[in-house]
Amino acid sequence: MAAVLLRNTTGGIRCLTKGPAFISTTTTILSSHGFGLLTKPRRSYSTTISQDLLDKKVQVYQSTSKDPYLNLSIEHHLLQHSHPDSYVLFLYINDPCVVIGRNQNPWLEVNLPALQEAEDIKLVRRRSGGGTVFHDHGNVNWSVICPPAVFDRDRHAEMVVRALKDLGVTTAKVNERHDIVIAGDGRGNGQDIFKVSGSAYKLTRLRSLHHGTCLLNSPRLKNIGKFLRSPGEPYIKARGVESVRSPIRNVDVDTEDFTKGVVDEFLAMYEEQCGEDVIVKGIGEEDVKDMDNIRKGMDELTSIPWIYGQTPQFTFSSRPTEDDPRERPPLNFEVQSDFNIQFTLRHGEFQTANVSGLKYEGSAMDGDIYDGMISQTLAKGSEDGSAVKLYEIKDWATVLKSATAGQAFKVSDSSLNSISQWLNKVFPGNHFR
Amino acid sequence: MASIARCLRIARPSVVSAFAQSSVRIARPFSVTANNELRKYTREHEWIELSDDKKTGYVGISSYAAKALGDVVFVELPEEGKEVHAGDALGAVESVKSAADINAPVSCKVIASNLTLEESPSTINKVPEDHSASGGWVAKVQVTDQGIADLEKLMDEEAYKEFTAAEDH
Repeated sequence: MAAVLLRNTTGGIRCLTKGPAFISTTTTILSSHGFGLLTKPRRSYSTTISQDLLDKKVQVYQSTSKDPYLNLSIEHHLLQHSHPDSYVLFLYINDPCVVIGRNQNPWLEVNLPALQEAEDIKLVRRRSGGGTVFHDHGNVNWSVICPPAVFDRDRHAEMVVRALKDLGVTTAKVNERHDIVIAGDGRGNGQDIFKVSGSAYKLTRLRSLHHGTCLLNSPRLKNIGKFLRSPGEPYIKARGVESVRSPIRNVDVDTEDFTKGVVDEFLAMYEEQCGEDVIVKGIGEEDVKDMDNIRKGMDELTSIPWIYGQTPQFTFSSRPTEDDPRERPPLNFEVQSDFNIQFTLRHGEFQTANVSGLKYEGSAMDGDIYDGMISQTLAKGSEDGSAVKLYEIKDWATVLKSATAGQAFKVSDSSLNSISQWLNKVFPGNHFR
Repeated sequence: MASIARCLRIARPSVVSAFAQSSVRIARPFSVTANNELRKYTREHEWIELSDDKKTGYVGISSYAAKALGDVVFVELPEEGKEVHAGDALGAVESVKSAADINAPVSCKVIASNLTLEESPSTINKVPEDHSASGGWVAKVQVTDQGIADLEKLMDEEAYKEFTAAEDH
């Protein structure tokens, strides 16, 4: 396979329409163009994804990094800084992670204890809308940025379908939810419909971004469902956006073949307009490490307040309520008949808390008063007056104990252990990203 | 909101022409009155209506935009105190898996956000241009001096109607 060669000469970029899309390294040649960029506002002063490149009519970038936070930050930088008239394709593969949509609830959508146990699976909140998906090395993410004038939710999903069909996946098509589905194995065997790609969008004043996944050959296919089923789901009622479940399967195509196919289809769509004004290049960590914008983006995406705190208001209740009358599954530990735990959280902070029916030991006072103390600790706030953040609670046993610290009574040990264990499962803090 | 008009036209042309017709029909009996002299629209389908004090006002998305977006499932409201220039993002609206920026029509500072939209995002679909307590307005803002100048560049109601009618063809 001939390696693709790019040259950024003063004469322009060679337009590449055929051949493999994989690029090795292309960084140093661009540094000399950095300083011509000071004239327009909101330009990056980077040495690598220079404004020169970002002004090209047609741009294709492929990430060599597997860091999901970095890849999303690069993608966001491309969205914010590529020329308003340009067409940009960005392809990236991420290390194992669960990615929730901008306005979703991680406690509702994700099996956080399972992620914690797995240790090597990250939790990511992206900037586009839509639902929760799972990424790993068997999944390729494709992202197209274009002018709003030509934005259409299916346009680039159809592009990916063409690439899949060229690779023999004859039954691939875009469904009414803008997902890509196949029938059976995609090659004519079987009728059942499977989702192989989900889409999400971010629309700004000047640009439209459409990105999607493609499940090519994930080794974790059987476990994906487990990671996307939360233990808190029976108890949580949330504002924000809920995911829609679909049966999934691997397309069974090599990631490099798929990537090349998508690049080819993209260039075919915009070839007429490109003339000489096309760039195809790889981007890696080395290239962007000095780019302030990208570092800022990374800081935001990796921050706990972004990942957990950007959660719309939700309620958690151990028993049915008027707002959430669903029957709850039986608890696997003993409780008094008046046991009831209810929280309201907004941006991850306790707004209201009601705890009742716990078992107490110690001086013979009214249990209700003790319940009230625990409720107050959570809802009123921590010692410095700020609201208690759900995602800062590492162990519920500590919270329950501290609420009654110094009092002549405490929550009975058996009650404390079983309730803490249960709450720790639904709300396991933020020990990981 | 810039992307929504094209999106609507490409995806559901029959709905667009029906809507365009109906919007013109409804609008005529309620055309420009003293109240609406203070209402202006952007090309990206946001509106701003200055209050009598000419310093504060309400901002939201137009009926045209609300219709084109489809069912809004979530509204990201701006924080109180946020200062923006004309065209900067003032929050966002999610519908059909799309997080679509709402842009500030003029330079301004956010005084309050419409928390009703947190509880009931569909309010923005029902009464997008209503700035009463139960309306679908997005934010109450204080307009800066630059903002007053920005207002001059915006369209009044008649001009906006012509603009949207043209977009649909």
